[in-house]
Amino acid sequence: MNSECVVGTDAKADCRISVVADGAGTIDVQTKAADLAERGIRHVVERALEAADVHGLSVTVEDFGSLDVILASRLEAALRLASAESSIPVTVHPSRRPSDKDRPRRSRLYAPGNNPRVLAGIEIHGADCVLLDLEDSVPPAEKTPARILVKRLLAETRFPEEVWVRINALECGGRDDLHEVLQGRPHGICLPKAERTEDVQDLASELTRLEAEFGLASGSTWIMPIVETAAGVLHCEAIAAANERVAIVAFGAEDYTRDVGCARADHALLFARSRLVAATAAAGVQVSDTVFADVADDEGLYAEACTARSLGFDGKGAINPRQLGPIHRAFSPTEQEIEHARVVVAAADEAEAAGLGAVSLNGKMVDRPVVERARRLLRIAERLSAGRAES
Amino acid sequence: MKNAAGREIPERIAGHDVRPFAGAFSTAATGDKAARPQKHLDPHENKVLPSIDAAIEATGLSDGMTISFHHSFRDGDRVICAVVDACARRGIKDLRIFSTALFPAHESLIAHIESGVISRIEGSMNGPIGRFVSQGGKLREPAVLRSHGARWRAVEAGDVAIDVAFIAAPQADPAGNANGIFGKTPCGPISFVAVDAQYARKTVVITNDLQPYPVTPVEIQQGWTDYIVEVDEIGDPNKIVSGTLQLTKSPTRLLIARLTADIVKASGYFVDGFSFQGGAGGISLAATKFIGDEMEAAGIVGSFGMGGGTKMLVDLLHRGLLRTILDGQAFDLDAIESLQHDAKHVMMDPGMYANVDSRGCATHELDTAFLGATEVDLDFNVNVNTHSDGLLLHGIGGHQDVASGAKMTIITAPTLRGRIPVILDRVTTVTTPGEVIDVIVTERGVAVNPRREDLKDRLIAAGLPVRSLEEIKREADAMVQPLSKPVFGDEIVASIEWRDGTVIDVVRNVEGFE
Repeated sequence: MNSECVVGTDAKADCRISVVADGAGTIDVQTKAADLAERGIRHVVERALEAADVHGLSVTVEDFGSLDVILASRLEAALRLASAESSIPVTVHPSRRPSDKDRPRRSRLYAPGNNPRVLAGIEIHGADCVLLDLEDSVPPAEKTPARILVKRLLAETRFPEEVWVRINALECGGRDDLHEVLQGRPHGICLPKAERTEDVQDLASELTRLEAEFGLASGSTWIMPIVETAAGVLHCEAIAAANERVAIVAFGAEDYTRDVGCARADHALLFARSRLVAATAAAGVQVSDTVFADVADDEGLYAEACTARSLGFDGKGAINPRQLGPIHRAFSPTEQEIEHARVVVAAADEAEAAGLGAVSLNGKMVDRPVVERARRLLRIAERLSAGRAES
Repeated sequence: MKNAAGREIPERIAGHDVRPFAGAFSTAATGDKAARPQKHLDPHENKVLPSIDAAIEATGLSDGMTISFHHSFRDGDRVICAVVDACARRGIKDLRIFSTALFPAHESLIAHIESGVISRIEGSMNGPIGRFVSQGGKLREPAVLRSHGARWRAVEAGDVAIDVAFIAAPQADPAGNANGIFGKTPCGPISFVAVDAQYARKTVVITNDLQPYPVTPVEIQQGWTDYIVEVDEIGDPNKIVSGTLQLTKSPTRLLIARLTADIVKASGYFVDGFSFQGGAGGISLAATKFIGDEMEAAGIVGSFGMGGGTKMLVDLLHRGLLRTILDGQAFDLDAIESLQHDAKHVMMDPGMYANVDSRGCATHELDTAFLGATEVDLDFNVNVNTHSDGLLLHGIGGHQDVASGAKMTIITAPTLRGRIPVILDRVTTVTTPGEVIDVIVTERGVAVNPRREDLKDRLIAAGLPVRSLEEIKREADAMVQPLSKPVFGDEIVASIEWRDGTVIDVVRNVEGFE
């Protein structure tokens, strides 16, 4: 490695780092925070070079307000460009635990994997599931730095809820994505454009292999296939049931409308949405609705989220943190729903205690599925209020 | 000696005994107010002079005097530099500049400091002049920074004797009545210097729009005005805009604004007739909008909102969510337009707004306020004057007046600005003491001052993410290596006055960084 390798941008919260193997081993730091931050940045770089066991490199840092984790990511990416074997060891945050398969997932918040400004602090907005994206939002030339950025950020950040990664298709860089990001211990992997059982199964076997390689509990990484093509919709029963790791299936309307040539309208999407709801229900997994593109239209988003919930969806995608409020409002059980569910469950418990086969409430028969639905709603409500108390 | 804010301050500054800060409301005013000389004017005597030079000549402005200005044109002001340039051309030296604030537009004054035309400054220094002064050895006496209310008090109390007040007026008449909201280039209220106009030995109104008698509203009265000068240009009103007019798109800022609105809603103060003041800046503007939406949803009408007037505040008035806006300055052109046409959008001077040594001021009527900070510390002290590099870069504005007046004061701040932590063990400079701060809102949680257990209980009951400030600080500190600290010298470059004229802190010169 003789030429200069440069990674990063001059955008706010980012930094640009270049390394060159000139044998000099100098570290040059220029920072926006003038004289105050230089020493700290130098410390981060020295520590990272030592951990990477790299010597004799000269490093230049131009800092634009980047956190330590961004600095280390940019440095690791620059080292990787210089030498494919290079890596800086990463420590996973001690709070990280595998998650429950059926935990409530009202929202999945996408964040572009190459944008430090959006990524830094993405965990604070209360999304049930943060989804760090390596696919559509990352241009091909930036895949490597983005992978490293996502790995380090997801490893070192305390995510109060879940953190997932959307990878590229396995044959288009997805395997490299997995190898990198599994070291950061995500709760799950999101697979775009799932169309066949084998897509999910291939991912599952790759996960099993990597979990073993990185010392993670086997089967602890969930899968979220995104159904976003005509073929995907027609095979969604098989996709949802393809593997034990599938915890949730997401719908992607933007690609689907393009694929089938329909309008982005409720009536045009009804078939796909309803089929997905039935397929996931049959497989016993959750289902999450597509994203809503107009970030400024809170009311439109809320209306679409309510429609999705009425169809049977458990949650919805968000492309901006400000969309989480309307989505959570739509997908959280209301006080009346909770109260009604309590009454139903109490009646069912009473009937059971009395040895009665049938449950009745106010003189009306209550079917078993109604009771089951009420129990499920109470479970979700309980988990949501527990989550709030912790945060 | 150590004052009640725990800051080490000298016994004497610039040859005067220092009165140490003793607590937010612990130092009572004594004695009589100052006064200006009597003057008699015959009917139809001409007060209009042809130029600034002629006004300098007529007022007898000379070496060592104090001249005052307002900052209503903010970064668009042309008058301060024009007057000081004229003084310099006439060979006048050793001036004390007593402007309500200085901005980057006044950077050329640095040359006048270096040449000795200016030897002292009292008032806010936003940007380059503050940076320059922070180096030390630039001014003959330390600068003095005061809040809007404290500046008014200092003039009334005679702490500052103004020789000549130069008042940029977008509209004036030949008798000397003037206002800031009409004319060719309205800049918003100019009543900031109504006290200067009444107490200065001489008062000069400088206008670019001289109209036949009488112009109204009368912010500056003819009975206060000695001379009127008409010039081509006094300032660029497009530069009065403080920050952005757009609702911020930053998710972090929106989150802080959302939490602020939720706190207000849960505080117990959110009832019909409630009042608030928010600043300019992205978080405050968004919080103002969110609070308005909550008021609408709850069917609540506020008694008053307090400016700096902004489009967001004006919107609430027009939506019928506020009965009144009380406004000391305009932060955007929408606010000026509203002041021109809406009788419920009322101008007030800082005496009414914020003077603690008076028979009552408007900030003491506030239920809630949300204000910014460059730094906060674990004792809830707030710094808005210096940055973590120790440099003097901002004025106090109404921060102290509002924070100590409102029943609940919320400080809104991100935990980090780039790599710079906002929550410290000790702030670099105390502008506003922790005893008057109730809540600090960050994107990582809400901290309630231990003095307000009642409020803490309410916020927890409402499901707000209440945490200790220490815990929030630890989380933020873990994301960046600690900063180097500035190394301060022994010279005091500025003193920070509290509302009552006591000294709450001093700013020392920065010699370098550790």
